[in-house]
Amino acid sequence: MRWLCVLLLCCPSLAPAQKNPLAKDPAAIENGRQTFLGACSACHGASAQGGTGPSLVSGRMNRLNDGQALKAIKNGLPGTDMPPFNIPDDKVWEMVTFLRSLSRPAIALPPAGSAEAGAAVFFGKGGCSNCHRIAGKGGAIGPDLTNAGANMTVLQMREAIFEPNARVAPGFEAVTVTTAAGAVIDGVARNENNYSLQVLDKAGKLHLLWRRDVKQFKRRDGSLMPAGYDQKLSKVEATDLLAFLSRQSIRPYEAGEDR
Amino acid sequence: MRMLLMMGAALAVASAQVTIEDIRKSPDKNWLTYNGDYSGQRFSSLKQITPANAGNLVAKWVYNFEGARRLSCVPVVYDGVMYVTNTNEVHALDARTGRRIWQYKSPGITNSRVNRGVAILGDKVFVVTNDAHLLAIDRITGGVLWDREYADAKKGYNATVAPLAIPGGILVGVTGGGSGQRGFVAALSPEDGHEVWRFWTVPAKGEPGSETWGNFNLDWGGAPTWTTGTYEPETNTVYWPTGNPWPDFHGDDRPGDNLYSDSLLALDGKTGKLKWHYQFVPHDVWDWDANEVPVLIDANWKGKPRKLVVQANRNGFHYILDRTTGEFLHAQPFIKRLDWAKGFDAKGRPILNPGKVPTTGGTKICPSVRGATNWNSPSYNPVTGMLYLVVLEQCDIYITSSKEPVPNSGFRGTGSEGVPAEPGEFFMRALDAATGEIRWSQPMPGPGKTWAGTAATAGGVVFAGDDDGNLVAYDAKTGKDLWNFQMGHTLYASPITFEVEGKQYVTIAAETDIYTFGLFEPARR
Repeated sequence: MRWLCVLLLCCPSLAPAQKNPLAKDPAAIENGRQTFLGACSACHGASAQGGTGPSLVSGRMNRLNDGQALKAIKNGLPGTDMPPFNIPDDKVWEMVTFLRSLSRPAIALPPAGSAEAGAAVFFGKGGCSNCHRIAGKGGAIGPDLTNAGANMTVLQMREAIFEPNARVAPGFEAVTVTTAAGAVIDGVARNENNYSLQVLDKAGKLHLLWRRDVKQFKRRDGSLMPAGYDQKLSKVEATDLLAFLSRQSIRPYEAGEDR
Repeated sequence: MRMLLMMGAALAVASAQVTIEDIRKSPDKNWLTYNGDYSGQRFSSLKQITPANAGNLVAKWVYNFEGARRLSCVPVVYDGVMYVTNTNEVHALDARTGRRIWQYKSPGITNSRVNRGVAILGDKVFVVTNDAHLLAIDRITGGVLWDREYADAKKGYNATVAPLAIPGGILVGVTGGGSGQRGFVAALSPEDGHEVWRFWTVPAKGEPGSETWGNFNLDWGGAPTWTTGTYEPETNTVYWPTGNPWPDFHGDDRPGDNLYSDSLLALDGKTGKLKWHYQFVPHDVWDWDANEVPVLIDANWKGKPRKLVVQANRNGFHYILDRTTGEFLHAQPFIKRLDWAKGFDAKGRPILNPGKVPTTGGTKICPSVRGATNWNSPSYNPVTGMLYLVVLEQCDIYITSSKEPVPNSGFRGTGSEGVPAEPGEFFMRALDAATGEIRWSQPMPGPGKTWAGTAATAGGVVFAGDDDGNLVAYDAKTGKDLWNFQMGHTLYASPITFEVEGKQYVTIAAETDIYTFGLFEPARR
């Protein structure tokens, strides 16, 4: 293993400089994800964030060039638990595209799907814009998504939509505050400590409160983001929504160095 | 008391639109522009802090701006929310507690520079990025609304200016006096950022003023616009100062006055058309940007009320102009160490002292390159009639060198070095704004490091940063030192004052942190 590290990491020129032919194929992300779920998720976790095997979301994948990644999957890594996989090259390349997408902003390679149809889901059936805002359009109580494609990976978007309670974005914890004067404020705590609270209510109004003036403070379990989008949206709609959100960037994406 | 409790119980920040009328009334409880107001006076109507109680000021909160250094922002405060900036970042804070409400980081830019703050209008705050984009951000949620490039960073353009919101336009400027860009002031639409007008501070070939450059490439002229100007709503006139011509210290390749470098421009707010200009330093070879605040004051001139614009310039003179016509009325040194000019002709052109130009062997000239003052804001109290500013008494050895000018090559025609036996001395000084006479002067005997400005109040107190990291309160009339707080950092910004829940606060950015002060009161739990 040590030898392999030396070979792969310190002497990259010795490794084959193969390029992933499907690196820019938007469909490869989802196809690769499916292959990954079947072959790899038992060790690396369904979201590739690690299990008995290491996380592939962090720098580990980024340190390998395309050719090294292909070789590691096909041949395994001697001296580790990583076995060889007899998977056709094109399927491996799709997986590499998928794995790369996990640590790159969604806009680097937006998923296949109709962004236009996704916009209709966002502002229509999905009800997303009731709480989320893009370029000033939409509600204020959820995280602003104008720059979602640049700030989030596709994986993070997928989790936020389909597993909203997995994690709540900082500054968006749902709270209900009753003040000493009797006002009831329903919203999200943009910030709080023992002395003050900054709450944004559902109407988009900001309340700056002293904790001493708060009579009752209730923190809601989980996110304000409704669960059940896996039922509410069809697969096509979900893909379209991801395609739309992935393209939300205030500036054009400037691709980094291709491996 | 009961009313106060009710207010304290829930300070609801209305999503009301910030109007031009609000800005005209500022600074009251709000502080809505870089200089608090349109006039550049930095004179707050707040009276709670007075010479009698300023000694009771205490620190209320400190906000650490993660990753910052040389914080140069002047906060804007509206309705209890404070907006502060660092390069490519805006943070909104609860102005009573310093707790962050939101932050916005502009993506994809890494090279660092300073940022001087936001403008606010409607439901938006506006900020420039270091690669010369103007961003509009929702002031309640922190969501970005649009991002508009207004100068090409690949050509070397940079931006640090706090924008100024006027009717129909957000005014922005650029840097470039030290690297060979062509300066301009532009008004961008507050709605979507499209350019409404642009005034080039170096004329194009054939335009009036272009004859003042010889055969120099006009695209390299400099005359940058990196500090916030002032504005007169009644006449819709923008007063914007410009910086030095490039190369800074070597003028042989640009023979002539080099218009409109080192000038004050009076521009029509609707069209950007030039109404008049006054050039402080024709053919500058000392790097004396005129990027100091042009302060609009109404005062008596020779016994008659007159609309004036005054500027304490980096070159050591306090200038008094008629702001309607641009007529030069008077210039008076506000430092003792000044020897580059011996006076002015009737039209206001400086009469140079012979030999006071940079040479290859070095020439001692006063004031220094750092300037008798600089971009750090002065303030003006219309009751005392005094202009308050931090000044530096210092000379430098000025050195020049010639080279084929190439923009963005680091070439500035060389520069200056200090005079070893004559260290600089900082002072807090009050000038009679309408004559330039020094009314009081307080020494700053510290280590001689400051870029802090001042803020004046109707309470009769002037706040200023000193040369050793203190925020200081002075009696506006007498200059008596009333209070200080050591922040432990060199200061690069000017203080502000505002009011929330009936309490007056004073804030200044200090290197890595935002410090806020108020009068002592017992803790409540």
